[in-house]
Amino acid sequence: MMKAEQLLRERRGKRNQLIVFLAFLAALTVWSAIGTNFTPGALWGGIGDGAGFLFVDLMPPDTAELPGLIGPALDTIYMSFVAMVIGALVASVLSIFAAATTSPHPVFQVGMRAFSAMLRNVPVIIWTILLVASFGLGKLVGTLSLIIVSIGMLVRCFAESLEEIDLGQVEALRSVGASYWQVITQAVLPQFLPSLIGWALFNLEVNVRASTIVGMVGGGGLGFTIQSGLKLFQYKEVSMAVLLVLAIVLATEFLTNRIRERII
Amino acid sequence: MTLLRVEDLKKVYADGTAALNGIDLTVEAGEFIVVIGPSGAGKSTLLRCLNRMVQPTSGKVLFQGTDTTGVSKRKLREIRRSMGMIFQGFNLVERLSVLANVLHGRLGYMSAWRGALGLFAKPDVEEATRLLQRVGLGEQLHKRADELSGGQQQRVGIARALAQKPQLILADEPIASLDPASSEIVMNSLYTFCKEDGIACLCNLHQVDVAKKYATRIIGIYKGTKVFDGTPEQLTDEMIDYIYNQHNDKASDQSEADGRLARALKKETA
Ligand SMILES: Nc1ncnc2c1ncn2[C@@H]1O[C@H](COP(=O)(O)OP(=O)(O)O)[C@@H](O)[C@H]1O
Ligand SMILES: [Mg+2]
Repeated sequence: MMKAEQLLRERRGKRNQLIVFLAFLAALTVWSAIGTNFTPGALWGGIGDGAGFLFVDLMPPDTAELPGLIGPALDTIYMSFVAMVIGALVASVLSIFAAATTSPHPVFQVGMRAFSAMLRNVPVIIWTILLVASFGLGKLVGTLSLIIVSIGMLVRCFAESLEEIDLGQVEALRSVGASYWQVITQAVLPQFLPSLIGWALFNLEVNVRASTIVGMVGGGGLGFTIQSGLKLFQYKEVSMAVLLVLAIVLATEFLTNRIRERII
Repeated sequence: MTLLRVEDLKKVYADGTAALNGIDLTVEAGEFIVVIGPSGAGKSTLLRCLNRMVQPTSGKVLFQGTDTTGVSKRKLREIRRSMGMIFQGFNLVERLSVLANVLHGRLGYMSAWRGALGLFAKPDVEEATRLLQRVGLGEQLHKRADELSGGQQQRVGIARALAQKPQLILADEPIASLDPASSEIVMNSLYTFCKEDGIACLCNLHQVDVAKKYATRIIGIYKGTKVFDGTPEQLTDEMIDYIYNQHNDKASDQSEADGRLARALKKETA
């Protein structure tokens, strides 16, 4: 009887908590709207200006610029792909130390999680700015920044997949007298491979999108072309480049989905 | 010579659960010992303390004269490879081939890197193939392990254990997830191969009739204590009753309380 009453009390408590939370959310919304001078009117005006820029200045895209954009477009693809491959290779080793199920010691686990959180939570644009300062402009810097954030993201995703593997299979291999790395390659890897590929493909999509931003602060590829075009008021060229980015993003999504269907 | 001697083995888990309260037992070469007892008695813990998949809290496990409880990592690998283990859930690496799973039984004998890369020697592959023929799965060599039925998977489990060329096999409820027909095949295989190869076996079971059919000796465990150790003939009905049917009054109290709780919650939401 005691237990039942306690549970009823907990339930009522939960409901009150929800009401307080919703009130808090409403207050926060109003406060941020005031703080940022946000009004529906301002939004409306902005839409007018934006539409003007979009339909008058940017239109039509200049297809004559297309041949000159092929080079930067390929750079964008290379950068994203190389960052995905290197990122996935490095992250697959690091994530073994980060996952509770495979880490040789809890100390590695905490350390690796903190390290990957740092790589991932510093925005890619900041990494690029920092790297441009030391290596100068170019594709190398763009690729490096993408590698850094890819590792950060993939260590976390990989570690989560590693923590979901069937430990019975691990137990079986430990019981035959297999060593640590034998267990990793023979029992963990076969289970982990499908999610490894799935996350790496997702990472490729993320990289293709991020590469534009990276390019705009000096990391090469189409982003760099867009940024230079904006500075020189070459808006028709810019819109052509934007269209190309869109095409690459969509093509990547299409391709990765096809590959994913095949393996899963 | 006594193959395995367990002295005053105790295990208290990190959460304070006392799973074993001082177990003594011996296993002679060639014995087929069945361990019975209600669920939660400590049977799985006992088996796992023997190959140190679970680290015992205190006591001795002497395997071929060596106390396994404090040995180095390297020595532990040697001890583990001399003890095959068979699991209730089969624990095959499902995405690998049947043959690869049997070859895993050789990992304890291989150099760390050859094993890690899966570079199995030709004699090992031939032996694994022979073992699969022996358990009646010679046709399934290259199938993925999870394509097999439960009974077939458990026979792969047996082949994996045999590939270790063990002195002892630890089988933890090998037939608990199987239908009666497959159970019969699996128990027959396990018993026959142990007998033919002179391997001793410690097998956890909860079916007393199966225990009586195969065991050369039966050990009864109740709440972490050994309460019976004798021949199948000595295991009387009173003894079985003593091991299994200890009614727990607290349990019925609990279910009544849960019923009251469910009714109260219904009223609240209505
Ligand atoms: N990893 C663990 N941590 C804490 N308690 C455990 C763990 N494994 C088993 N136990 C507890 O130890 C007791 C014995 O369990 P087990 O050896 O699995 O019994 P059996 O195999 O006879 O069913 C049970 O009370 C169980 O809840
Ligand atoms: Mg058990």
